[in-house]
Amino acid sequence: MQPERFARMRVHLDWLQYKQNFREPVMALQTAGEQPEGPASIELRVDCRQVTPGSLHDPLKRTLELSNSGSAERPDRIYLEEFQSFRSSIAWEFNRLYWQRLKDWENATGKSYEKALPGGKSDGNRPEAIADSVSDLWARLQELDSKSQLPAEIFLLEIGVGMGIRAGMFLDRFRDLDKEKGTNYYPRIRFLLGDYSLATLERSRPAVQSHVDLCSFIALDALDPLRTLSFLRHKILYVHLTNTYDNLPDEEVVWRNGRIYWVQVRAYISTADAARIGRDCDVAEADLPRAVKRLLEVGAEALPDRAKGMRFWMEIWNAMRTEERLENMLDLPNASFPAGLSIPQMEDILKGAPDDLRFHLSSGALESFRNTLPLLHPRGYLQVQDIFVTDLNDYGMGFYGPGKLEGSIVSWVNGALLREVAERGGYDLHFAPYTYRPGSKTSILYTTRRE
Amino acid sequence: MTLPILPTTMVGSYSMPGWLERLKTEYFARRISRVELDEIHDTAVKAAIKDQEIAGLDIVTDGELRRDNMIDYFVERLPGVQVDRSSKKFYYDFYDSEVIGKIPMAAVGLVDDFRFLLANTDREAKICITGPHSLTKRIRNKHYSTEEGLATDIARVMNMELKELVKAGAKYIQIDEPYYSGFPEDINWGVKVLNTLVEGVNAKIAVHICYGNRYGKPSWEGSYRYLFPAILGAKVQQLSLEFARRGGEDLELFREFSPPFELGAGVIDVKDHAVETPDIVAERIRKTMKVVPAEKLYILPDCGLFHLPRDIAFAKLRAMVAGTRIVRKELGR
Repeated sequence: MQPERFARMRVHLDWLQYKQNFREPVMALQTAGEQPEGPASIELRVDCRQVTPGSLHDPLKRTLELSNSGSAERPDRIYLEEFQSFRSSIAWEFNRLYWQRLKDWENATGKSYEKALPGGKSDGNRPEAIADSVSDLWARLQELDSKSQLPAEIFLLEIGVGMGIRAGMFLDRFRDLDKEKGTNYYPRIRFLLGDYSLATLERSRPAVQSHVDLCSFIALDALDPLRTLSFLRHKILYVHLTNTYDNLPDEEVVWRNGRIYWVQVRAYISTADAARIGRDCDVAEADLPRAVKRLLEVGAEALPDRAKGMRFWMEIWNAMRTEERLENMLDLPNASFPAGLSIPQMEDILKGAPDDLRFHLSSGALESFRNTLPLLHPRGYLQVQDIFVTDLNDYGMGFYGPGKLEGSIVSWVNGALLREVAERGGYDLHFAPYTYRPGSKTSILYTTRRE
Repeated sequence: MTLPILPTTMVGSYSMPGWLERLKTEYFARRISRVELDEIHDTAVKAAIKDQEIAGLDIVTDGELRRDNMIDYFVERLPGVQVDRSSKKFYYDFYDSEVIGKIPMAAVGLVDDFRFLLANTDREAKICITGPHSLTKRIRNKHYSTEEGLATDIARVMNMELKELVKAGAKYIQIDEPYYSGFPEDINWGVKVLNTLVEGVNAKIAVHICYGNRYGKPSWEGSYRYLFPAILGAKVQQLSLEFARRGGEDLELFREFSPPFELGAGVIDVKDHAVETPDIVAERIRKTMKVVPAEKLYILPDCGLFHLPRDIAFAKLRAMVAGTRIVRKELGR
């Protein structure tokens, strides 16, 4: 390696807590445009959890060979897409397939999605957490009532309803508390269960059966609840989400030397994995990209033998990795930040951040957040239980995704950026620890209109 | 100058351009001087006046483009109020402020703003001020034993200012009291303080009461019923209320209580970027006229246009004027 190249090489050490992820033990990526003249910088990202002695040498050697040869592709990889922001990656197609055909996956693995979660149960369904939420809401309603400002209809919204268990428990508890206090708010409740999957909404119905007259089941896109519920602008008193933001499309950027670089990814399967999966599922290596495309369209029925189709889905998902490269944002005229954040605003946000910081934009979460806030009643609030990075500086201290959770993607949510967007829009945002499960990484985000 | 039937006017603020917000930030960062900022303000105000004239308003304002927001412009000028200038993160936010002693009588300095407005339009001109109740709700009170005490002294200072404005030629004055809606329990003393504010002020005085417009969003919801009957004792000539966004149900209160005031009816929703058609505006006016006769009606947006993009704000004003003209034609006036 030429000495001047070596001088510009960076090595990042990570510890990927997700056993299933998109990374090789060692990944090498190039950054164009850091120096106006001269070769691209090289960056090695090492997963200390997966790495073994000697495994640094080969990826580095290959990267150098590749950059010297001018070739953009490696012969030992089958690429599933072109370089693009992770948000647009085929990985999210797999994520969508998983939620659309959750039952297939659960049948194949023999365990429900909830069992795969840390603790084996959704943090959304803890009775004590729900009781506290109900108490908080009831107090808010009473405060409004004392000023004769309580609306005749009390609209509540849960986005991402799962099996409807939380909604059912919430309404049970609310009914009991209302009866205990004698306030008679319960009949005024209009509880909206929102999910993008009609099948999920249908599955949630039994859990709220005893309150069904107060419930509406609404198909909505978590990225844009306002589009579906615009008739309820400024009317909803309580919006809740659990573990939804961490599964919305995401992408990453790098702040380095006063410039913003976009992390572009390209999904691939190694030829070794492709050969193994092909043998196992009767798919010729050359047909693999076409078979993947069909899988994403129709699910396990993509192959003549459905059982093999299911295996193909799971094996491809497990084997899928991403290459990365960094592109200067100035060279990407179509790249834009989520939630209407402009480049000057982002630079303003990053003023106090350490240099060479790679962080998540949480684009889907920001979009959802921004398109939910206008629904809030002036005294309403948004409550989100999820895994958040609350300080931008923390991105330099750990790995926050993406990881694979069963057939879905999980990334920690950039809470610091959410806070910035909220504050610029006239909202206050704070995080509270989730104390209902020891060792939980969950936090609770609260957003209210700034007074 | 004789006004037509159903006179049209603004509630106060006009669209705040993003570039003005950024230049203001430059000023706070000491990258542009006060003189330059004043020039920028003058230019922006002239443009806002011109837009209102082109839109066809009968009574214009200065668009309140010199003001960060409806609170800070006044607390910075009120004698005896201490402002923590480090307390504000974003331009639209409010400063933290406090009062630690009795508020002395001194000029607030609005007369120059009004003179500038008069010098740059041949239309009727209106000046808007934030009322003492709303200001009291944003100032930490460390001296007075009651909020009413603080509000009364603010009202005395502002009363002197209003009289100076009248001397300078102000015929239309609007008092903004949105915080009534957030604190309906204050309405009795709020009206008392309002009367202190307008005592001996020889102008047509309107009090604007809405449900808040911070960041272009309502701060409260409810019904105007809380205003009655206390508001009937207010010594003002006009109530300016929002009806476009909230619907016209509360118009019935005018039938029920027959208040002696004119009504400034909000017929433009300032919290929605969709521009009303003139027909929708006309229909809203007709609906209002079923309760309040045209002779006692002024036509306005629901609130200030501060948070709307300029093209939308301008289009909304044009629609308001066009809708009003439809109804005038129907009235043969």
